[in-house]
Amino acid sequence: MDFEALFKQFLSGDVAQQASILRSLVIFLPELVLSGSIVLMLAARLVSLDRIIPTHWFALLGAMASFVIVLFQFWQFGQAQTAPVEVFTGLAIHDEFSIFFRGFLTFFLVFVIALTVLTGIPDDEDAPDFYSLLSGAVVGMMLMSSANHLLMLFIGIEMASVPSYAMTGFLKGKRRSSEAALKFVVYGAGAAGVMLFGISLLTGILGTAQFSELAPRFQAVFANHAGMQDPATRCVVLALLMITVGFAFKLSLVPFHFWCPDAFQGAPAEVGGFLSVGSKAAAFALLVRLTTSLAGDGTGALSQLSLSSGLALGLIAIVTTTFGNLAAYSQKNIKRMLAYSTIAHAGYMLMAVSALLVLQSVQSDLVFQGNHQQNGPRAMEGLLYYLCVYLFMNLGAFAIVALIRNQTFSEEIDDYKGLAQQVPVLAICMAICMFSLVGIPPLGGFYGKAFIFASVYEATNVHWFMWVVLATGGLNTVISLFYYLRVAKTMCIDARPADAAPVTLAASSSPALYVMLVSGMVVFLGIIIDPLSKVALHAAHALF
Amino acid sequence: MGEVGLNAYLTVGAVLFVCGVVCMATKRNGIGVLMGVELVLNGANVNFVAFSRFTSLGLDGQTIALFVIVLAAAEAAVALAIALNFYNNHLTIDVDRGNELQG
Repeated sequence: MDFEALFKQFLSGDVAQQASILRSLVIFLPELVLSGSIVLMLAARLVSLDRIIPTHWFALLGAMASFVIVLFQFWQFGQAQTAPVEVFTGLAIHDEFSIFFRGFLTFFLVFVIALTVLTGIPDDEDAPDFYSLLSGAVVGMMLMSSANHLLMLFIGIEMASVPSYAMTGFLKGKRRSSEAALKFVVYGAGAAGVMLFGISLLTGILGTAQFSELAPRFQAVFANHAGMQDPATRCVVLALLMITVGFAFKLSLVPFHFWCPDAFQGAPAEVGGFLSVGSKAAAFALLVRLTTSLAGDGTGALSQLSLSSGLALGLIAIVTTTFGNLAAYSQKNIKRMLAYSTIAHAGYMLMAVSALLVLQSVQSDLVFQGNHQQNGPRAMEGLLYYLCVYLFMNLGAFAIVALIRNQTFSEEIDDYKGLAQQVPVLAICMAICMFSLVGIPPLGGFYGKAFIFASVYEATNVHWFMWVVLATGGLNTVISLFYYLRVAKTMCIDARPADAAPVTLAASSSPALYVMLVSGMVVFLGIIIDPLSKVALHAAHALF
Repeated sequence: MGEVGLNAYLTVGAVLFVCGVVCMATKRNGIGVLMGVELVLNGANVNFVAFSRFTSLGLDGQTIALFVIVLAAAEAAVALAIALNFYNNHLTIDVDRGNELQG
């Protein structure tokens, strides 16, 4: 179909087509509401309305409204049991999985905005800029989680990345902040360029950019090609490698993790918390969507593709967790330590994706068929549960760092000595978050890890390499114990030096309540697992 | 004159890509690195348009190329603002001079 025909069709106003556009817009409502709140914020400054109503109220209301709409969509989906809907002529897809992630991201946005209000990181002058960047990044992440087309994949990643660069350098006068932003933008733009070149090769060889058609086209192209001698095979492998570079950058996987510690140390702690949870979650959603649609039904050439990419991701996961944990051990700055811990956690979550792909590769095999119906969704359930717990424990840790920074102007772990004597609330909540990051029962982090390790264990039936992944995961949990507990010990057991800056925080003040709420959720998710894991499993089933 | 085939276009795209990557890897000037990124993006764009002309990709390829041009402009705007901010604080845009964050 050429352009003229398309244009005529649009003008002639095909009723069915207009109805489908209208329906897409209704489904797209959460994103539209968020974008509307951005416009409102900027317009409010134009007429000096922000001097009467603080900008964060616009941002907060927009985020809450879009979260409520996503909840309504979830309820609607549960009522009607409808099949996944392709919106905007197949560019995006609307199913339980995308609803889950959009809900996750808008919920997270509400918490981040609340945190920035409590710590006061953007002053009144900069607030419209900051909140429009924040909401804009979340719109990009929501697009990532519902992408169904390689163009959407790239747009989503860019829309999430570009505001993140600007937010990292948000403290304009600080040398470190500007250095962090420059490193982030240089690495990020480079990775995005390489990824785009990979996408161009992949679309060219397969002749489509639609996720749902990737697997059938792959089958057709490689039906009678054999091995790596074939140029088409080599080209696809190259394209997949280049796309992996882009994902590895977003997920801060080794060897594309260099930006992460620098960006987190230079950026305000609030932005660090946002990047470590939001962009990771969205990138995992996108990675899972792309890999499951590439793996398709796992027959013939697809089985080989799925198995080898699963094992490759497993290898990356091993290196990433080990590196992250070892590097975190020697850090003195708490934000840098949390950045390395973020790298390590991305590795754990990647293990779930690796297990999923390895399990997918045998789904047409009769021996495994009985188990498969459950195992694939189980691996996904683990990933989703982990992400939810990770939201609270990481946000809690970064929030505490920000609150302490506001009083002592320091982010060195040594300056946290004996804080339990002055602010027991912060010390206890930090200890909860740290224990949960290690994965000690009965906190939420334990169940996240347990679900993921269980699905890796299932995958060991398919390939021996998954034993290595499982063993590394277990070993790393032990290594991580030392540096997480060091923070807890510094805060709770050591004595406060006499010359240290005093920290005060009333237990009933709103920052204290916020921190207690977030770390309370970590404990809650460790005790009452069923509701969330059921929702996660339900969302996971949408992909299979 | 014979028709110029798909391979010729892909070669141009690949050469642009390699130039861009070499530029990103060797330049110490921040603006130079960003120019390398533009080369890589445009190499990919040549690929997209060539594939849309010669393969079953169709209109998708050209649409993607248009979107990429817009995204590249947006990214360049933010990147230049960040480079300017770096210059204001460090009085240089040499990326190697950003070495305060280590550990």
